[in-house]
Amino acid sequence: MIMQTQYDEKKHVLTIQIEGRFDFSCHKAFKDAYSSVESNCKFELDMTKVTYVDSSALGMLLLLRDYAGGDQGEIILNNCNDAVEKILRIANFDRLFSLH
Amino acid sequence: MSLVSLNILIADDNPSDRLLLKAMLSGLGHNVDVAEDGLEAIEKFDPEITQLVCLDVVMPDCDGLEAAIKIQEMSRGRFIPIVFLSGLSDTSSLVNCLKVGGSDFISKPYNLVLIAAKLDAIIRILSLQKKLEAQRDKLSSYNEQLIHEQEVAKVVYENITHSNCLSDPCLNTFFYGHHLFNGDVILAAYKPNGGMHLLIGDFTGHGLSAAIGALPLADIFFEWTRKGFLMRQIVPELNRRLKAILPADMFCSALFVDLNITDKTLEVWNGGLPDAFFFSQRQKKPQPLTSHNLPLGIVSESEFTYSTEIVSFEKGDSFLAWSDGIYEAIDSKGMMFCEHQLTPLVEGRVDSDNLLHWLRRKLETEGVLDSSHDDISCLKIDLSDAIGAEQESNTLTVEEPDTPSDFSFEYTLNAESLKNTDPLPYILQIIMTVSGLKHYSGQVFMMLSELYSNALEHGVLRLNSSLKETNDGFVLYYMERETRLSTLESGYIRIKISISSNEVGGILSIQLEDSGDGFDTSQVKLKLEDSDEMYNRGLPLLGQLCKSINFSEKGNRVEIQYQWDK
Repeated sequence: MIMQTQYDEKKHVLTIQIEGRFDFSCHKAFKDAYSSVESNCKFELDMTKVTYVDSSALGMLLLLRDYAGGDQGEIILNNCNDAVEKILRIANFDRLFSLH
Repeated sequence: MSLVSLNILIADDNPSDRLLLKAMLSGLGHNVDVAEDGLEAIEKFDPEITQLVCLDVVMPDCDGLEAAIKIQEMSRGRFIPIVFLSGLSDTSSLVNCLKVGGSDFISKPYNLVLIAAKLDAIIRILSLQKKLEAQRDKLSSYNEQLIHEQEVAKVVYENITHSNCLSDPCLNTFFYGHHLFNGDVILAAYKPNGGMHLLIGDFTGHGLSAAIGALPLADIFFEWTRKGFLMRQIVPELNRRLKAILPADMFCSALFVDLNITDKTLEVWNGGLPDAFFFSQRQKKPQPLTSHNLPLGIVSESEFTYSTEIVSFEKGDSFLAWSDGIYEAIDSKGMMFCEHQLTPLVEGRVDSDNLLHWLRRKLETEGVLDSSHDDISCLKIDLSDAIGAEQESNTLTVEEPDTPSDFSFEYTLNAESLKNTDPLPYILQIIMTVSGLKHYSGQVFMMLSELYSNALEHGVLRLNSSLKETNDGFVLYYMERETRLSTLESGYIRIKISISSNEVGGILSIQLEDSGDGFDTSQVKLKLEDSDEMYNRGLPLLGQLCKSINFSEKGNRVEIQYQWDK
């Protein structure tokens, strides 16, 4: 797993790019990534290179959602591959996050 | 044992060398013991005391190499360095010394500066070794304690999650977990009026942290089912409780099944688990039952959705559900298991009697079980209308004298309450305070729910049973029931209960009156054999249980008398 972040100060958007397996081993890196910015920030996850998510990754997404203020937060998941999107949809996470 | 001053054992058959080395080492501050040959060295060696052994290579009787081997055997896993003393200088004999386990050698004639430096190096190794041993001991005692605690927790966990009816012959399950605790749960409980509630759940993560959430889940599931609560009341409660106690990143993907034997339907709530499948003998392909809800424990009560699917079953149909361990597993070619391996099953090409066997073989041959990274569990139900029908008072009965009772109460529900509450569990709880009736709670609940759903569906909501006649009729019927109930504006159901009992038995009378139009009561058939339609079974069933059934008014009031003996 490789994780990179990019913060756009003007738009107040944090982009987190994740590569490879998105699972429990990302826990600390992911938490560090989103908590480096203020919680009223807009979050974009670049999922292009994510090959796999497991249930603890879904849990991490919920942590981020909590951090971003629950329903008020703005979190976008970009470019999930089919397998990843399927897992997100089975859990009905498309109701909690915007999938693009 | 101090590491600055070591307990050293020297073995050398040459008295002057022996004395010289002893003097030098003593002079460096160590405690020195001496032996004249290998045998004496072995005798004097004590793994509890000796910290360093110096052996001359060439000695009579037992030479240094032999003694070294023996001493290492006696060390019992402790690291006690052996240093060879030698006048020899050929490479092969020095290599031999190291081969049998020697740490170093000191060549004769002795050089004090070199010996002091070597001793320092040995002390460094020993102190490092000592630190490691202390850490190892600490770790292993910590681990022992942890295992002990987990074992205690496991007993509690299993008592709670397994106090269920998974052994019922209609159920088949399998479970693969690679932790002491499993993040998956399968729960099954008979409902008081026959039929069964089932839940298959998968908590985020694995091991103990995943298992913790299973405790409140199981607790509510069993308790509320036993008390006669309905699936649509239990599921939101499970969500509410898990939401309240679990940390934000933990949740439970779950599938709840209400198996109803009176009208032979299966209602399924799926929140975050992969499609479950209903195998009907009438259809070639199984019908998928898809997740329409968020898993349990994520959203608050107000956002929680209760979206279910209902199917009608016949004897011989079956139902299959699994946790996403199967779904996310990777097959031997590195592909997602679900996509490639499950296709024959999803397309109905696997014999439904053989489903679990087929699935297990698949998991084995694809090597999923060896490399699985998630718990895998699977549940199959062989459907029939006899499930849970005969489990009356199978709990141990402690014979205690029945105390007489004599009371009555009346409970009226108007439109808003009819929409939002289910009064039966509460009424049942009051009735069950009568000690003699405890053994008959299943029958009492059955009568109550039969009468109540008649009054609600046919009376207040004016639904016609003939809707149920077609194959999908039950499904249509329940959809219509939902619609009418949610738009209900007026109507009532009045429930009157009266009980009088003595030490040997008693009479329970239940009267229900509804705001409906009533019906022509002369057409009522109370004998089971008179009624071969699948939907008119309620009243004949009551007829069997009760002493009397009487309709009055225009058919919108019914009273039954139930008599019991000790």
